[in-house]
Amino acid sequence: MAVLDIVNLRLYYKTLRGTVRAVERVSYRVEPGEALGIVGESGCGKTSMANAIMRTLPSNVEVYDGHVIVDGHDVVRMSEEEVRRKIRWRKVSMVFQGAMNALNPVIRVGLQVAEPLIIHEGMDKREALEIAREKLKLVGLPPEVSDRYPHELSGGMKQRVVIAMALVMNPKLVILDEPTSALDVSIQAQIMNLLKKLKREMGLSMIFITHDIALASDLSDRIAVMYAGQVVEIGSAEQVLLEPKHPYTQKLLAATPRLRADITPEFIPGAPPDLASPPQGCRFHPRCPYVMDRCRREEPPDFEVDGGRYVKCWLYGEEG
Amino acid sequence: MGVLRTIGIRALTLIGVVIAVLLMLVIVLGVTGLSDKMLKAIADQILMEIRQGLAREIKDPEALKAAIEQQRMEIYAAFGLDKPWYARIPDMVVRVMTFDLGYTRTIKSFTGSQRVADIIWERLPNTILLVTTAIAISAVLGLIIGVKVATRPGSRLDRVASYFSAISFALPTWWTGIIFIFVFAFYFRLFPFGGMYSAPPPEEPLARFLDLLWHAALPVTTLVVALVGSWIYVTRTIVLNTAQEDFVAAARAKGLPESVVRRRYIIRVAAPPILTNIVLGLAGSIGGAIITETVFQWPGMGSLYYQAIFSLEENLIIALTFIFTVVYVAARFILEILYIVLDPRVRY
Amino acid sequence: MSVGRDALREFWASKVSKMGVALLVLLVVVSVYVVLTYPLDFGLRYWNNPAYWADNPKAVPPEWWNLFTDKKLPPHVIKDFHEPSDVRDQRGRRILEYVYSFDFQYDEFPSFLSISLNNVTFSSRRPPRVEIFLDRPDNISVRLLRFTVTGPRPGEEAPYFRYVEAPNRVRITGDKNVFSALSAMLKKYYGLSIRPSEVGEIGAEKVAFGEPSGDGFKVLRGRYVLRAVVTGYDEDVDVGMLRMVVGGRVYGFSGTDTLGRDLAVGLLFGFPIALLIGFLTSTVTTIIGAITGVISGYMGGKVDTGIQRLSDIILNIPLLPILIFFTFVLGTEIPRLWVIIAILIAFSWPSLTIVVRPMVLQIRESQFVEAAVAIGAPRLWIMFRHIFPQVAPFVFAQLIFFTPSAILAEAALSFLGLGDPSMPTWGQILETGFRSGGVYIGYWWWVLPPGLLIVFAAITFVLIALGLEPVVNPRLRRMK
Repeated sequence: MAVLDIVNLRLYYKTLRGTVRAVERVSYRVEPGEALGIVGESGCGKTSMANAIMRTLPSNVEVYDGHVIVDGHDVVRMSEEEVRRKIRWRKVSMVFQGAMNALNPVIRVGLQVAEPLIIHEGMDKREALEIAREKLKLVGLPPEVSDRYPHELSGGMKQRVVIAMALVMNPKLVILDEPTSALDVSIQAQIMNLLKKLKREMGLSMIFITHDIALASDLSDRIAVMYAGQVVEIGSAEQVLLEPKHPYTQKLLAATPRLRADITPEFIPGAPPDLASPPQGCRFHPRCPYVMDRCRREEPPDFEVDGGRYVKCWLYGEEG
Repeated sequence: MGVLRTIGIRALTLIGVVIAVLLMLVIVLGVTGLSDKMLKAIADQILMEIRQGLAREIKDPEALKAAIEQQRMEIYAAFGLDKPWYARIPDMVVRVMTFDLGYTRTIKSFTGSQRVADIIWERLPNTILLVTTAIAISAVLGLIIGVKVATRPGSRLDRVASYFSAISFALPTWWTGIIFIFVFAFYFRLFPFGGMYSAPPPEEPLARFLDLLWHAALPVTTLVVALVGSWIYVTRTIVLNTAQEDFVAAARAKGLPESVVRRRYIIRVAAPPILTNIVLGLAGSIGGAIITETVFQWPGMGSLYYQAIFSLEENLIIALTFIFTVVYVAARFILEILYIVLDPRVRY
Repeated sequence: MSVGRDALREFWASKVSKMGVALLVLLVVVSVYVVLTYPLDFGLRYWNNPAYWADNPKAVPPEWWNLFTDKKLPPHVIKDFHEPSDVRDQRGRRILEYVYSFDFQYDEFPSFLSISLNNVTFSSRRPPRVEIFLDRPDNISVRLLRFTVTGPRPGEEAPYFRYVEAPNRVRITGDKNVFSALSAMLKKYYGLSIRPSEVGEIGAEKVAFGEPSGDGFKVLRGRYVLRAVVTGYDEDVDVGMLRMVVGGRVYGFSGTDTLGRDLAVGLLFGFPIALLIGFLTSTVTTIIGAITGVISGYMGGKVDTGIQRLSDIILNIPLLPILIFFTFVLGTEIPRLWVIIAILIAFSWPSLTIVVRPMVLQIRESQFVEAAVAIGAPRLWIMFRHIFPQVAPFVFAQLIFFTPSAILAEAALSFLGLGDPSMPTWGQILETGFRSGGVYIGYWWWVLPPGLLIVFAAITFVLIALGLEPVVNPRLRRMK
C-alpha cells in the first residue's frame, strides 16, 4: 500500500489581489521506500503543497479539499486535533527550508529533537534525550551537540539537527522542502549523502522538494514537475530526465547548465503566471513553443504515457 | 559559566556608568562654582560652632578675631577650599556617594533633622514602594493583554488596545494625575487629595494598611496608566513578530499543541526583547514617579525634588540626582540579569 | 520613484494616518498664525506684566461656561469713551459727562468695578474733579467716589497733561471711600447700620449691585447707569480716553488665571513653542543618532566599540533627574529653553544609534555595497549614498516618534518649576495653576486645557507614527 496517496488536492488562499490557487487538483502516490522529487520554479506551489499534506494551513485559506491519505487516514477529512495527534510527526514529518530558522533559538537543540517524543508519547525527558542523541548520531553529529543552542552551530550542523528531529518518531514519510538551498555546495553534498544513506539503511520514504533539477536527480526514484500549482509531468527519474515529455520539463532541462557539454543554457521566455489569475486553459500555454488552439481554451487532463507516467499536455491527447 | 561571566561583565560596565555620572555631576558642580558654595556652607557651619566655643574662652576681641581667622584657614584647607575645584574631584565624588553634603536651609525630614542624608534615606522606601507596585501591575497587565491582543491581530480588541496605547503614551503623567484628582477627589470625593496617610494616621495596623492603600490608589493608577499603554503595544508587536517566525510554523508542524507553541515558542522567545523594552521604559517610570509624587504630594524622593527646586537647595538636588541614577542603574541591572538568563544568544 | 509612491499609498490607507496629518496641519496653521500676529517679546512685555491684565477679572471661567450652568454669570464689560456722552458749560465750568447704561440680568454679582482715565488735559490752575455715580434700578443713586486730578506742580506751565504714559486706574470696589459711600446709602435707604469696613469685608460689589436679603445680599437685577462726571475749570479740559470696567465672572475663550491673564492668549503662544521644541529636538537627535549608527555599524572596530560604549553609558542614565540637575544648575546663566533642548538631544540620540547599528550591519553585507567597495568608492560616500537611504524610512519614523517625547519632557520640566518663567508654554501655564492650588479649588479651565493641548500635540505625532508603521515594517501590512 502506498505510504501517501494524494487525490485532487486543492488549496486556495484569499489575498488582497484575489484568490490565489496555489495547489490545483494535484494527484500522485508515494510508495514505501521511494523518494519522490518535486521540481519547479519558485512560486509554483511546492511549499503550499507540502503544507497541504501536513495540514499546516495559513489563516486565510479559502479552499482545501481533495484527499490526502496517509496510513489509511484522510488528512483532509480529519479534525485538526486528530491530525495533530495522529499524523503530524508520527506518520509524516518535515524538514524545513532554511533550517536555521526552524529551530527555537532559546532552547537547547537536544531538547528540541526530543520534544515530539515527550509531547506525543508522554516519554520521560531523560529517555527522550537518549533517543534524541541516537538520532543525532545517526545524522553524523557527536552527542555533545545535544546541549548546544542553535546559534552555536554551523549551517550544515543545524540542517542535520533538523533532519534528526524529523526522524525522531520514525515516521513513514519525510517531506524535505529545499533542505539544502541555504547551504554552500560542499555542505550540500554532505547532506545529500546523508539522505541517501538514510534512505538506503532505513528504507525511508521521502518527498524531496527543490528547484534544482540536478539535485533532485541525485536522490529521487521518481520525479514530479510542478508548474503554476499543477503537476504537469510525473514519472521515474530516468524517464523524466532523459525523455522529458512536457514542453515545460523540456525547457527546464534545457535551461540547466552542463559542466562538460558545450551547450548554451536556454531560458524560458515570459514569467510564471500570477496564481491569483492563472491563464485560461493550459496554464503553460503563454510560454509554450508548441501551443495549439485547444491549449488556450481547455485545460488538459493527465494523459498516461507508458506505464505509470503521466503528462498534462494536449500534445499527448491523441496518442495513447 | 556563560551566564556568570556575562553578568560579571555587565556589572562592571554599570559600575562604570555610575562613576561616569558621579564625575559628570562633580565636574559640572565645580565649573559652575556650586561646589565651592556648598563646601563653604558646610565649613562655615562648623566654623560657627567653633566660634561660639572660642568666644567663651578668649575675651580679648583682637585675639579672638585672630584665633577665628586661623581656625577658618585651617578648616577651609581641610575642605580643600584653598585649591581649585578640579583638585577636589575625588573628594567630591566620595562626598556625593555618601550624601555627605551638609544641611538643607529650610527643608526638614519627618523627624526634624536637616541633614541631607537623613532626609533622603527616610523618603527612599516610599518612592520604591510606589514605583515597584506600579511597575509590577503594569508589567502583568501589559503582558497579559499584549499577548491576548497579539493572538487576534486586527480584531476589535486589538484596535481598542492600540488606541488606548497611543493615548496612554501621549498622556502626560502629571496631567492624568491632576484629572484623577479633579474627578475622583474633588468631584466624587472618593479618594484623598494626596499624601501617604491621613493626618493623623490610624493606630491599628490593619486600619493603617488600608489607609495606605486608599491613599496609594490614585497615584499608583496614574503611574500604571502612563506605563501600561506602551507596554501593551510593545508586547503585542513583539509577540506578533515572533509568531510569524519560521520556527513557530515548524513547531506546529511538529504536532505540538497550541498551548505549548504559545508558551515555549512564542512567549518564551519574545520575552527577551519585551524585557529590553521594559528596561527602556524604566526611565519613563522614574520620571513618572517624580511627577506623580509631586502631584499627589506623596512623601517620596520625587516630591522632594520638587520642594528642593522650589527652595533652591542644591545639595538635595545633587544627592537626589545621584540616588536616582543608582536606583535606575540597579533596576536595569536586575532586568539585564533576567535577560541574560532568558536569552542564551547574548552570553559570551 | 515607485517605492515612494507605494509607501505613501500605504501610509494614506489607514484612518489613523489621516487623522494624524489633519491634526498636524491644524497645529502648524495655528502656530503660523501666532508667529505672525504676536510680538516676539510677548513673554516679557505682556505675559509677565500684570499691568497689562489689570482690567481683566481674576480667575474666572470661560464665557461659554454660561451654557452649562444654571446660574447666569455676568460677562466682562469694558466700555471705552473717547468722547464724553455729554458736554455742558455751566457757571464757568465745563462738565464732561460719561454715561454707561446697562441692563443687569444675571444671577451673580460683577467681580469688580473700575475706572481709568487716560491723557487728561487742562489749563486752569484748578485741576478737574471727577465724580462717579451709580444709578440703581431701585431708583437709588449713589455717589460712589470723588477725587481730583493731580494739580499743577511748582514751575509747571499750562497746558497740563496728566496720565499720558500710564492711565490712572481706580478700582472702585476696592476703595475705602466707596465703602463709606455705600455704608451711608444702606443707612439712608434701608435703615441698615453696616460700617464701611464691614462693607469692604462683604464686598463692595455685592452692596453696590445688590439689595439686602436675609443675612446677606441678593443680586438686584434691572437697569443700571454708571456715570462719570468730570468737572473742569477751563475750556481746554479734555479726557483722551475714559474706561469703565464692569468686571464679569466669565471671560474669553479660556477664562483667566489669578493674575487676570487671558488664558486663551497664553495657550495660543504655546503652539509654536511646542512645535519648535518638538521638531528641533527630534530632528537633531535623529540626525545624530542615525549618523552615529551608520558610522558605528559600517566602520566597525574601535570606532564601533567606542560609540557603543558611549551609547551604553548614556542610555544607563535616567533622563529626568539629569534634566532636572542640569536645568537647575545651568539654568541661571543660559536660557532654560536651550538647556532643556540641549540635554534632551544629548541623552536621547543613543537610543536611535543602537537600533540603526544592527540594520547597518546587515546592509553592509549586501551586494550593492560590495560592488561600491569594489569600484573603489570612498567610505563616506558608501555610508551616505548607499547605506543611509536604506535606513532612512525607519529613521524618519523615529523622528516622528521622538517629537512628542520632547514636548512631553519640556512640559514635565515646566511643571516641576524648571521651565522658562517668562514664556507661557503649556507646561508653564499648568505649573502656575497647580502651584496656586488651582486643582484643589476647582479652577478646571486653568488646569485642563494646557494638558489637553499637550495631549493633542503628542497624539498627533503618535498617530502619524502609527500610520507610518506598516510602511516601515512590511510584516504588519494589511492583508485584507
